[in-house]
Amino acid sequence: MDKSTQTEIFFGPNHPGVPGNYGIIYEFEGDTVTSAKANAGHLHRGFEKLMEERLWIKNTALVPRICVEEPDINEMVYAMGFEAIGEIEVPRRADYIRSIILELARIQGHIFSIGGNAAGIGQYTVMHWGTLTRDYILDIFEEITGARVYHIYIRPGGVRQDIEDETFDKILDLMDELENERFPDLEKTLFENPNAQKRWQGKAVITKEEAVEMGATGPVLRANGVPHDLRKMMPYAAYDDVEFEVPTYENGDAWDRIKIARDDMLQSIKIIRQLIQNIPDGPVQTDLGNGLKYKIPKGDAYVKIESKRGEYGYYMVSDGGLKPYRVHVRGASTPLGLYGVREFLPGTRIADVPVWAKSLGICPPEFDR
Amino acid sequence: MRNEKELLELINVHLEPQAVEIKREQNVSVELAPKNLIQALSFLKSHSYQHLSTISCVDWLEEGAFELVYHLFSYDDYINISLKTRIKREPGIFQTAKEIWPVAEFYERDIHEFFGVEFKGNDNLEEMILENWQHLPPMRKDFDTREFVNDQYEWRDYNGQKHTD
Repeated sequence: MDKSTQTEIFFGPNHPGVPGNYGIIYEFEGDTVTSAKANAGHLHRGFEKLMEERLWIKNTALVPRICVEEPDINEMVYAMGFEAIGEIEVPRRADYIRSIILELARIQGHIFSIGGNAAGIGQYTVMHWGTLTRDYILDIFEEITGARVYHIYIRPGGVRQDIEDETFDKILDLMDELENERFPDLEKTLFENPNAQKRWQGKAVITKEEAVEMGATGPVLRANGVPHDLRKMMPYAAYDDVEFEVPTYENGDAWDRIKIARDDMLQSIKIIRQLIQNIPDGPVQTDLGNGLKYKIPKGDAYVKIESKRGEYGYYMVSDGGLKPYRVHVRGASTPLGLYGVREFLPGTRIADVPVWAKSLGICPPEFDR
Repeated sequence: MRNEKELLELINVHLEPQAVEIKREQNVSVELAPKNLIQALSFLKSHSYQHLSTISCVDWLEEGAFELVYHLFSYDDYINISLKTRIKREPGIFQTAKEIWPVAEFYERDIHEFFGVEFKGNDNLEEMILENWQHLPPMRKDFDTREFVNDQYEWRDYNGQKHTD
């Protein structure tokens, strides 16, 4: 190909179309991307190294920072890894509360990312509404945990404190409001909007074979008609006690993935209602002694759970000491953000690069760790 | 659909493992000699273990070894396997798995950058996260963060108070 017709461009890290502090360096011809590579590393804070130098309990304040959109997922995987190595039982009520928190987190994450996706195609109203709706859920989080974004609430052995009955009522009221008022508005402005459909339909297609081969999970697989969900495949917390469906679509494109986010939220509401209705009484924390002296035996565990973007895993190793010997984070978007960009971005038009990056839920701190 | 025991039987028959263990429900751990590992990966991939979650590296400084852990998952069995192998810390050379899973190229690149393990056959091991890194790979256990900071940077006085280490 003639070099003079090709231009290399640095897309991000400072660009409204990229998801976070992350860049893509691509070459294009006309307005089509011909080759691309990830430009990561702008956000490297050395999480994994830091964790090795902090006590087990101190890391509970560090892990939520790994992904802004999904802090609770990180808290949960970390706690599960600790419990798996130490063979610690969690009280049933704590399992239920954890599931409620994780589902609330799923809704806030989805609504936030639907807003982000909409902003990527110029639908800024939806972005503002998404941020507003997310704030109602953050209010609930503030009431339960005292913090809005990074809760440090799910911790080894259970959760930090119990939830009051009045708070459950507030959650149920909010769920009704979301279902009856917020989501129909979203439906009219975004999902029935022909502009949005045109911008998303047939864009950023990843087939089932490609997804399995590179290890992409969650909505990427479900958009290809594969109902894989770790909440069903390897149930954790209280997910074996609730009934819900895993939404799937057939085309594997950005439009299907965004519709899955919408359907997922409705399922989350259904799950939260069941959990609140059936929550058992009892303690919410196993007594593990003095927090500054937490110790678990030698061992290792790979634990994973379903985040809103797919498998989120931690490989944790303990040498029997007061600190983790090694923690390795496997973020949901790691294969897409590094390998996927190089393999599947070429052929996309420049205006659709934000559609590609945002609809695949790329979260840079997961691979910058 | 196999259960954990049937899976371990299959592994025992075909893969010459050094140790196998059912860690907990749906989680199995298998230790292999380095020479058998790549073959084991392709064997398991053809037996429905198509999903490579990630590759982890652990630095066992006192034992002079790097432990590489390949996490596989099957969408038929719903079982997670952690395939482990230990290679000598010096010189720290292993084979690439990128012919089996192309995405492994990036996991290996990450391990190369942070632990200094060479993967033969992977020609894309350039820097990805760090920039112009001239020191010991930072995730190694003998890399001392505090010493590095003291060597590279100057402590600043805060409100007239001298920094004390």
